This record gives sequence, C-alpha cells and structure tokens, in this order.
Amino acid sequence: MSEMSASGGERDTTAGRIILMAISILAAVLVLAGLFYATGTGGRHKAALAAAECEPNLSPSGLQCTTVQMLNGQYMAIVTPAVQQLNIDEAAYTANEGRSLATAEVALTSEITSERELDARLASFPFPPGVSPVVKALIQANQARANLTTEQARSSSLTQMRSFNQQIDVDGAAVQKEMKLLRSALGSRPTADQEP
Amino acid sequence: MATTRDTAPYGGPGGYRPDLYFDDLIDEWQGEEKPGHDHQPERWAAKGRVDEWMEKEFRFGGSRIKRKSVALILLGTPALVPLFFMLPALLTLNTNTFSVSVDDTLGTGAELCLFLCLLVTPMVTLTGQRWFFPLRRWYGILMACNAIGDALAAGLTDSFAGGFLGRLAGHVFELMGFMMVMLVIPLLVTGNPWAQRKLGRYWKPLHALIYVIWGLLFLHLSLLEGFGFEHGSDGSGFAGDGDPVFHQRLYQYSACSLFLLTLRLPPVKRWIAARQKEGRGWLVWVTIAPVLALFMFGLIFIINEEIFKGLDSFTNTPSAE
Repeated sequence: MSEMSASGGERDTTAGRIILMAISILAAVLVLAGLFYATGTGGRHKAALAAAECEPNLSPSGLQCTTVQMLNGQYMAIVTPAVQQLNIDEAAYTANEGRSLATAEVALTSEITSERELDARLASFPFPPGVSPVVKALIQANQARANLTTEQARSSSLTQMRSFNQQIDVDGAAVQKEMKLLRSALGSRPTADQEP
Repeated sequence: MATTRDTAPYGGPGGYRPDLYFDDLIDEWQGEEKPGHDHQPERWAAKGRVDEWMEKEFRFGGSRIKRKSVALILLGTPALVPLFFMLPALLTLNTNTFSVSVDDTLGTGAELCLFLCLLVTPMVTLTGQRWFFPLRRWYGILMACNAIGDALAAGLTDSFAGGFLGRLAGHVFELMGFMMVMLVIPLLVTGNPWAQRKLGRYWKPLHALIYVIWGLLFLHLSLLEGFGFEHGSDGSGFAGDGDPVFHQRLYQYSACSLFLLTLRLPPVKRWIAARQKEGRGWLVWVTIAPVLALFMFGLIFIINEEIFKGLDSFTNTPSAE
C-alpha cells in the first residue's frame, strides 16, 4: 500500500519536475541571451544617439535621449515668452518715459522681474556642459542689465530716468549677442570628444 | 501532526486570517501539503526560527517594537515611491506632467506593486517563511491606488479625443487598462477584515480577480507595445541607450510573469514540496535559479523605468519617451 502510494507520489512530482526543468532551461537560455545582448550595449547606444541626433551630454547615465531639436524647443519655450514680456515692458516704458514717472517706474519694475525670472530659468536649464560658458556669459549680461534697470527705476525724475537709456541699450545689445551665440551653440552637433 | 507552519501567528486553518488578501487560493493547497515534523524537522524548524525571530520585540525609544514590523515597513515603504513622484505635480496642479508621464510613473508603479503582490506567495512556497505575508495586502492596496490615480489623471489630462471616458477607453489598449481599474476597485474596497468577514466564502473567489487583472495587463501591454515588435522609435524600447529589448514593457512583464506563474502551477508546487520534504531544498533553489534570475532581470528594468520617469515627473520635467 505504501509502495503504491510512494509510486503515485513519484508520478505526482514527475510532471512538476519536467515542467520546471523545461521552464528553467528556457529561462537560462533567455538570461544568457540577455547577457550576450547586453555586451553590445555601447555600440548600439552610439548608433541610436547618432540616428536620433541625440545630445549625449544631456542624458544622465545615458538612459534618456534628448535631441538637439528637443533641446532647442525647450530652450525656446523658456526664452520666447520672456522676450515677449520684456518687449511689452519696454514698449510700456517708452510710451511713458516722457510723461509719467510713476507709470514708467511700474514698467521698469515689471521688466526687472522678467529679467530676473529669465536668469533663474536659464540657470536651472539642463544645458550640455559644452555650452555652459556661453550660458554663464548670457546670465551675467542679463544680470548687469537687470541691475542697471533697477537703478533706473529708482530715478527721482524723468530726466534722470532717461539718462540711463543709452547704457541700457548697450547692455541689451550684449544680452542679444550672447543669446545668438547660445542659439548657435545649441544648434550645432556635439563634437567627437563630447560623445560618451 | 502539528507543523511549524500551523503555529504561524495568522490563525489556524479555517480561522479568520485578516492578513490574507489577494492571491489566496494557493494557501488551500499549501495546507494539504504541510509536512510533518517527523519527516524533515531541520528545514521547517529553521524556517520557523526565522518567523519566531521576526516575532520577537526589541526596545526602541522606550517602546517595544516587533522586528517583523520594522522589516515590513522597510519592505513596504518603497511601494509608496510612485505616488510620491507625482506629488509635486499634484500640489502644483501641473497638468503637463500628468498628461505626459503619469502612465510611466503611476502605471509602471501599479505594475511593480502587482508583481510584488504576486511575489509574496511564491516566496512563501520557496522559503516556508510567512512573516512577510502582510506585504501582499499592502502591495495590493498600493497597486490599486496607483492604477486608479493613473486612470483618473489620464482621463482628465490626456490628449486623446472623446472627453473623460473617451480618454479612458477610447483605444483598445486603454479599454484593457480601464477594465483593470474597474476590477481593482472591488478588490480595494473589500481588502479589509470587515469585508472579508461579511463576504465569507465569496471573498476568495472575488479576490481571484487579481489573476484576471494580471492577464489584462498582458493584453494592455501587448497592444501598447505592438505585441513586442519594435517599429523604429515607436514603442517603449526606444530609449537611446542601445538596449531597446530590455526597455520593452511586454518583455519585462513576460520575464517577471514566468517566475510568478511557474511557482503557482500545482505540479511544480508538488515537486517543490516533495524536494523540501526530502530535505533537498537546495535542489529547488538550483532548479528555480534561472527563472528567478529572469524575473530579476525583468524587474530591474521596470524599476529603472520607474526611477527615471518618476524623477522626471518629480521635477515637473516629464519625459515623453
């Protein structure tokens, strides 16, 4: 009776053994195939980056892909509304610089806020290391302009306020120059030594 | 014929066991196969020792805490991470983050919690330990929270046409996800001792719905990932890191599910129980090792996806990859 039971028990576990062995072999093959596949990761990574025009320096641990186009898009999404707001503020100042000190001051205050906001957003933007000197120069130029605008907003008369205009224009031109440099730096493909 | 397992602090057979939620069917079978002390005392005594050790209390800041409680908190807390990742977007009502990456953050989080929930029973089968059993309920609840959060956010913020319902079920793969969420709601609502008492013998069949959800997830991912075939940059495998196969969600699902499914097959469980009864537990581990390795392989890439997409969501710079 116990022999029959033992033989029945053996039969019971045979199916399990066969199933488990088959699945184990399949799993072992898949794991080995995965490890073999993983050895080609480096080459495929470079090929994928090249095919997608990726910016490798923007990819932490190389696990994400940010294309030059995406990078430009993100950058423009920051800069375009800021520049639009600055233009509105400047127009408001120009319209009031000859007639109302209080309104001109409000326009300049708004301009300062926009400039500071742009600085903060540029500082936190994940620029690739290759363009960081240009970004630093842009932020410095923008800060210089914001500081001067702050002084201008403190003017006690319209004449004094207008006396800053020429210097503000010079600083504005410096900001625009740095912006152009940054745009062209972002648009160019990374050099070979920048590849991971 | 009392066994070490019978003395586990979860109540006797047929008794009320509040820690058994989701995926309970296996325990019926395990009860039948419980080995006696007289055949293989060493292994079961060893496993009992771990459970007993976990039950012991230690002093911390004037209060007494069970070791098991600390271990459960340490193992259970990571399941909150997907929800934590979406917190900044929720507090700032950032619809862009929800629209772009909620599926990758909460959807993947729900998948992870489902696998962890389903992992508990196979680990009990393999180790004989039961101290981590309460995690099954915890992971199940968080799976439901992640899935419901994902569905709500997708319905409110996705770019698909058709209003809230259209965004939830307008595509076939979305319909599968929607059905999963609908099925997970009764499990969440009845995943408590009171509901278990009230539902009585209907509770277990109801909670077997977790297997239907597991199957629907396969369909959801199959349709989402073009049945596992990559088409250029279309699909989750396009990550730019040269490992498209590892990033394919359907492959990750399959790699994890193979282990979870194998350890639920009655003939396999019988074979494992027989080897453990003979005191040859090492043979079980050696045989199952490749399947476990494949599971880990798949799980690591799901966790990888969760961390990178989650961090992007956390900083409100969602990645649409």
